[in-house]
Amino acid sequence: MVKKLQGEAFLLSANELRTGKVVFFTKKGWSSSTREAIKIKADEINKYEEISIREEKKCKIVSAKFVELDDAGNIKTLRDKIRNCGITIKI
Amino acid sequence: MYKYSDTDKKIIASRVKQFENQVNRRLEGKLTEEEFKPLRLMNGLYLQLHAYMLRVAIPYGELSSKQLRKLAFIADKYDRGYGHFTTRQNIQFNWPKLPDVPEILNELSLVEMHAIQTSGNCIRNISSDHLAGLTINEIEDPRPWCEIIRKWSTFHPEFSFLPRKFKIAVIGCDEDRAAMLVHDIGIRIIKRHCQVGFEIFVGGGQGRTPIIAKKIKNFLPKKDILNYLEAILTTYNQEGRRDNIYKARIKILVQELGIERFKSLVEENFSKLSNKELEIDKKSIEEIFQYFRLPPLKSSSDKIPLEDNQEYKNWIKQNVIPHKIKGFSIVQISLKEPKKPPGDATSNQMKALAKFSEDFSFSEIRVTHEQNLVLPHVPNKELFNLWSQLKKENLATPNLGLITDTICCPGMDYCALATARSIPISQKISNHFNNYCKQKEIGNLKIKISGCINACGHHHVGNIGILGLDRRGEEFYQITLGGSAKEDAAIGEIVGPSFSETDLIDAIEKILNTYKKHKKNKGEDFLSVFRRIGIKEFKKDLYDNFTEKS
Amino acid sequence: MIILQKNHEHKNHYKKIKEQDFLKKKISNGSILTISQWREVEHIIQAQEIDVAIEFSSDACILCENDKLSKVAMIQINFKTFKDGRPYTFAKMLRKKHNFTGELRATGHIIPDQYIFLIRCGFDSVEIEEEHKETWLELLEMDEGLYYQP
Ligand code: HEM
Ligand code: SF4
Repeated sequence: MVKKLQGEAFLLSANELRTGKVVFFTKKGWSSSTREAIKIKADEINKYEEISIREEKKCKIVSAKFVELDDAGNIKTLRDKIRNCGITIKI
Repeated sequence: MYKYSDTDKKIIASRVKQFENQVNRRLEGKLTEEEFKPLRLMNGLYLQLHAYMLRVAIPYGELSSKQLRKLAFIADKYDRGYGHFTTRQNIQFNWPKLPDVPEILNELSLVEMHAIQTSGNCIRNISSDHLAGLTINEIEDPRPWCEIIRKWSTFHPEFSFLPRKFKIAVIGCDEDRAAMLVHDIGIRIIKRHCQVGFEIFVGGGQGRTPIIAKKIKNFLPKKDILNYLEAILTTYNQEGRRDNIYKARIKILVQELGIERFKSLVEENFSKLSNKELEIDKKSIEEIFQYFRLPPLKSSSDKIPLEDNQEYKNWIKQNVIPHKIKGFSIVQISLKEPKKPPGDATSNQMKALAKFSEDFSFSEIRVTHEQNLVLPHVPNKELFNLWSQLKKENLATPNLGLITDTICCPGMDYCALATARSIPISQKISNHFNNYCKQKEIGNLKIKISGCINACGHHHVGNIGILGLDRRGEEFYQITLGGSAKEDAAIGEIVGPSFSETDLIDAIEKILNTYKKHKKNKGEDFLSVFRRIGIKEFKKDLYDNFTEKS
Repeated sequence: MIILQKNHEHKNHYKKIKEQDFLKKKISNGSILTISQWREVEHIIQAQEIDVAIEFSSDACILCENDKLSKVAMIQINFKTFKDGRPYTFAKMLRKKHNFTGELRATGHIIPDQYIFLIRCGFDSVEIEEEHKETWLELLEMDEGLYYQP
């Protein structure tokens, strides 16, 4: 998992092991929508890192990562936006 | 075309079973992701931004209509109705699901295809000239040699856990259409004193350290090819760096040791470890060559139909080249229609092409490293007919070798490693230069675009190379000039500070203006001008009245 | 841990030599030495009727031209990670260049999917967790003996 995280708030995200689909961690488990995703503060990272390791062990998800949020609470980087919203081109 | 023997069939089928076993163990938690990853990679399965991605090999770029139909079927049933042809004669599916992959591999095996060693730190799919066997100045068809090497390298027990990936290309003439000199090993068939053999190059590559391969052998007799490859791989497997992934390719080893020292290690392994059983005798060479004979083409004096249709004429001029058999043509199909990601083909296009290849080209299709397709043996008299049908499928874009025939990697739209998007850039270029006459005036020009320094889009060897960067969260594009992937291979030079997406087209226009200004005659293409005048002139024009960004 | 040789299970007869034993040159049947230890005591062992082994780490598979291995009963290569492919080439070298005819064993981080590769490169045995035995045997079973290489 990415260390040296800079921001203040994050979502925990991953790909579903079976489908590869992008998912976010919510109170009720993993969801493909960010709507109910738990907002994680910088000092809670360790706790959620443990959760992600546990979830990986359960063979539900792979490639867990923290997605940084901007001040307004939106996903910050372009890569994470594309991960969430899908490709930006028509096919 | 090559046909699987019973042994081939059994080996591929047993690999499918083995991978099914591995997927099940992964899903049950008996394999960790760390352990599963190299195994899935060896079967061409990546995990990308939003999904898994399966890379299927098209060995030496050759496809039958049946195989292409199967690819269309897979795109429809397991994916989203399209596939992406890559720069190493593979096709990528962007949306497969892990539990489906063994089934996909099984479907592929039914048409003698696989995804073996299309990824991972092993010897990858062997690539070749897409015009192999079709041109007059070829010394010998490279495809049989690719097949010989494909077999030897498949599940090689010793070379499946190399320091890093390993790419080999083979060509059969002086012209290099396979970017042979930017491969880990490049092989060129040559003739010396009436004897045909190989010239061997080693240590080429792109990525963050682009290097043109160096010659390690002036002439290698045919029978020794596998023993010599084995000697190179032995040296690399033993000596290649494993402490730093960025220094693990053979190019770094060759660079650090120097070609002479590297060569002496290889020669020692060659002389001490060569295995009689790896020598290839005349008979088995002949057997393999049987598979690659031309279909029964009767030469004729048939001319290309003249039709009073400008689009058709443009297409003939741009995309059609003569076949070595009189009366036939090689038709190049551009997968660079405006507005579409370069190299993408829909399942409907694949099905249509499968049909066209049956009707017009002896059921054969080729895949090029420039992300286009080829119908290799089309009778001249059918060209207008074929063109009309291609046009209906949006497969008749007349831009081969022109500025809109860009090579482009998936970039940040798909790729987890990207620093910027690349497909939208290529789309901007094709929209801006859409007009055929305008393109023709610019002439032969290769633009190659990568979404990060890994250089999957070959930007280092583009006449104009574009590399996507991340500048504090914003996409920026660095331009290199003067690269070439051909026999005169060269790594492009960085022209200066990078450009935002908005300023990029303007910058390309300026570069083209410099070119036009210095062009001596109509025939002098971009690369020739660049080589004559150097990068300075371009810099001067590009940055003079441009607000320079640091 | 068990030793698997093709599909036969064995007990391990070898054990790494203790530092103090080595200092006293108390080399017994079944001692595993490092290569530098071996070079030191080779001349003593040449005269004895005992089986000793040498262990290499996968990232330090190095032998000199004049290392003599004829009295070595077993060479064991400890994989730091299963992704380290050097031992496959080293195995070839041991067999072809150094004419080593004893047992060649893989230990450390190896995975069952590599079993056939190991055997084909000249390994005789692997040291694995007992609980993984079934998977190793299953993958051995799946192999049909059809290869592209000699
Ligand atoms: C989408 C998933 C992909 C990933 C994760 C990926 C990853 C990489 C990486 C890490 C490298 C650098 C290797 C090195 O220097 O050691 C590389 C190089 C390369 N890739 Fe990709 N790539 C992807 C897609 C593609 C595509 C779509 C193409 C063809 C259009 C391609 C063709 C190449 C080529 C030709 C090179 C450079 C040649 C070389 O030095 O090996 N890759 N890729
Ligand atoms: S060049 Fe970079 S962005 Fe493009 S496909 Fe390769 S790894 Fe991905």
